[in-house]
Amino acid sequence: MQSLEVISVNLWQILISLLNLLILFLLFKKFLFKPVNKMLAKRQNEIDAKYEAADSAKRAAEEDKLLWDEKIGTVKAETDEMIKKAQDSAKRQGETIVTKAKEQADGIIRQAETQAKLEMKKAEEGIKKEIVEVSAALANKLLEREINVDDHRELIDSFIEKIGDEE
Amino acid sequence: MNKKTLGFKLVDMLYIAMMIIPIGFGIALKVLTTPLSEGISIAGAKIYFTLSMPVQNLPITESQVNSAIVIISALFLCLYLTHGIKGGIWLKRHHFAELIVEKSTSLVVNSMGEYFKSFAPFIAAILGLSGFSSLITLFGLFPPTSDINIVAGWAILVFVLITYYKMKCGPIEYAKSFANPVLMAPLNIISEIATPVSMAFRHYGNVLSGSVISVLVAAGLQGLSNIVFGALPGFLGNFPFLQVGLPAILSIYFDIFSGCLQAYIFAMLTMLYISGGFPLELYNERKKKKALKCEI
Repeated sequence: MQSLEVISVNLWQILISLLNLLILFLLFKKFLFKPVNKMLAKRQNEIDAKYEAADSAKRAAEEDKLLWDEKIGTVKAETDEMIKKAQDSAKRQGETIVTKAKEQADGIIRQAETQAKLEMKKAEEGIKKEIVEVSAALANKLLEREINVDDHRELIDSFIEKIGDEE
Repeated sequence: MNKKTLGFKLVDMLYIAMMIIPIGFGIALKVLTTPLSEGISIAGAKIYFTLSMPVQNLPITESQVNSAIVIISALFLCLYLTHGIKGGIWLKRHHFAELIVEKSTSLVVNSMGEYFKSFAPFIAAILGLSGFSSLITLFGLFPPTSDINIVAGWAILVFVLITYYKMKCGPIEYAKSFANPVLMAPLNIISEIATPVSMAFRHYGNVLSGSVISVLVAAGLQGLSNIVFGALPGFLGNFPFLQVGLPAILSIYFDIFSGCLQAYIFAMLTMLYISGGFPLELYNERKKKKALKCEI
């Protein structure tokens, strides 16, 4: 079989090899670079979208956090106020209760005092009466002889009876 | 969606087969057309047949066939690597495809600038075609890069591109770029023409010299072996013991290292010449001026 010389220039061969390189360039472009670049772009887009989503989620979370912080602050203030109110009202109620109780106690004491005074008066009156009666009885007894029995029979009997009853 | 379906696997197998079949075809052709007893001969590519064409007849040689083999195999390698990349199936080979694309793109952007980003597939094609054409010697095939016509075709395409980008600011600017200083114009023109010639001869010469040295060393070792061990009886006397070892090491250098290196050098020079010859700032200024004119 024949061979080419080691150096032999052939225009058609040069042209064919030039076209070969062009063809391989186009093939590489179409079948290697285009799909890979497409895939890379797609992945980049996905990554970008994910980052964006993460960023927005983070922003939302931060906003939420701020909101919650605010809310928690207001809630604390509210609870403080409420506790204060409750304490105030409790104090006030307690005071009123105490004052009421004092008033009641005073009233009770006054009543008791008046009652006691009344009782004492009653008792004094009773004692006075009894003393009067006793003294009258004593006087009667002392004066019995001079007393007309007939006149005072009834009175004496009732007296004795009274004593006996009382005894 | 991560499971490979049967159809997917079948297409995969088809791609792999289509990668291997051309190489097998080339080896078969080589084996069938090589005469049994061939001495040392340093010749160009074998001519299979000749087509009659105007101006010059076109001999279809080993280098044409092997170039076609490389292109077909590279095409199916691309198809195999990017197979299923659109369907959302994630395979390990997609990482490799991504690596190739990203590395070549970053190489082009780093050495040519952002403007030439679309050159990435072209540079990848140069690297792939040149590299695989040299590496095809590993299968025992004739490397098309040791044929001056093949490399000259690439160099001429690169020269056309260089001139196209130099001409982007108009032919007057292009002519001016040579006369700088005026007296140097002839030398500048010669160096301009020398660019593709030197590129072609550098690549071709390196690969060819590698195979020539390999053939010479192998032949020399055979001769030496015959002298040293020729006295041994029968079959052993003819066996080239000394050919074991050294040619393999030489092959690592000349076939693998030199082939890849020359592909890299060719690609780097292409990028350098195209981006170096293109007056980007002047082009941008003119573009701006044109835009202003249009606005007015």
